[in-house]
Amino acid sequence: MSKKVLVVDDDPDVRLFNTTVVEEYGYTPIEAENGEEGLKMIKEHMPDLVILDVMMPRQSGIRLYRELKTEKTLKDIDVILLSGIAEKTFLRSQKALTEFGGKEVPEPAIYLEKPVEPEELGEVLKKILG
Amino acid sequence: MDIQKLLFVTKFDELRFDALQSLLPLQKAALHHVVFLNVIEREKVALRRGTGYQKEEEIKLREKANIRFIDWAETLFEQGLEVGVYIVVGDYVKQVVDAATKEEVDLIVLSPSKKGKLEKLFSESEVTEILHRTGVPVLVYKNLAPGGILMDKPFDRILMTTDWSPAGDSAVACLKNLGTLVQEIHVAHVAHEKNLQTDSAMAVQKTRKETRNKLERICDIFEAEGIHSRPHVYIGEVETEIEKAAHECRATMIVAGAKNRQSWKERILGSLTKTLIETSIFPVLLIPPEKSG
Repeated sequence: MSKKVLVVDDDPDVRLFNTTVVEEYGYTPIEAENGEEGLKMIKEHMPDLVILDVMMPRQSGIRLYRELKTEKTLKDIDVILLSGIAEKTFLRSQKALTEFGGKEVPEPAIYLEKPVEPEELGEVLKKILG
Repeated sequence: MDIQKLLFVTKFDELRFDALQSLLPLQKAALHHVVFLNVIEREKVALRRGTGYQKEEEIKLREKANIRFIDWAETLFEQGLEVGVYIVVGDYVKQVVDAATKEEVDLIVLSPSKKGKLEKLFSESEVTEILHRTGVPVLVYKNLAPGGILMDKPFDRILMTTDWSPAGDSAVACLKNLGTLVQEIHVAHVAHEKNLQTDSAMAVQKTRKETRNKLERICDIFEAEGIHSRPHVYIGEVETEIEKAAHECRATMIVAGAKNRQSWKERILGSLTKTLIETSIFPVLLIPPEKSG
């Protein structure tokens, strides 16, 4: 059975792009449109990888990433952050949240800034999932 | 009621990031999530004879808004805030109500749109419509309007007006939760001159004393929370006196309880809420009464 990749993004065009690339590289895509739904899907499907947007309605990728990486049963799931937000902003935000009394979280496996080429995303998928 | 999540509604030319930044001290109270909303008016991209729906224009407007929001969001993320974004095409009021409901926000921040004289006269203001439909406090920020001012710390010195309505009670409940974020609250009531038509100075003074005692009781609630508070009684036209009081107290914001729905008479003749929205130079926080049941 092929490996499962969860795409979390509020933009339907981006979800379509990502799930198409995932499928073309031989993996099974599943999708969610915000952080809340994403967490639910992660618990339900236990994907091998999550491609996560940062800025979304309801719950952002920043919160979802923290919840994922501080939850014992989920912290080993790899995450690709794919966002218009700069990587250093993401890292600073995690630092700020840690300073507010949260647990320290590891950096994401890969951080890609939007827009991304299909080949670039595909290569990253191969690198992480084999 | 804590303000944990706010919806910042902007068309960029009337409300900028500096206005939002002035509200960030709310983080000391409970704020941890900001949601941006940009509503692209349908007319800007609507179907036109010969050209159809202007998809390219929509993409251009969406991306323009997105670029601004990404820039703003980066600053907020780095301060440990959660950020969400909506860029939508449609009716302004409906989209604000939808986003506020979906996100379950505690405060809506917006700037009223410019209207023609006739439209102003007959239409219920967008702000009161949003208040009525969401039941969420609305902060009207007009720093880019003519005469409008941007306060560094808008929650520093508040002028709270009360007409003893249930919405006034909600305003008290909301403000006392802000704690030390607020330095002073001036609580004012404006008595109309017609209520003082008597030939006895004693009767007028008695009214003043009774009113002041009622205001003192509100001040006691704030003092118990460590917020310095003072009562003020004004006589005259409510709208004029409130603006006067705000200047005299060097207020950084006016807070008023707002009725959920305006009557037709109020729409045509004006109400305090409507006048404050349209004419006050101060940021105005309108708080609806608690929803019953």
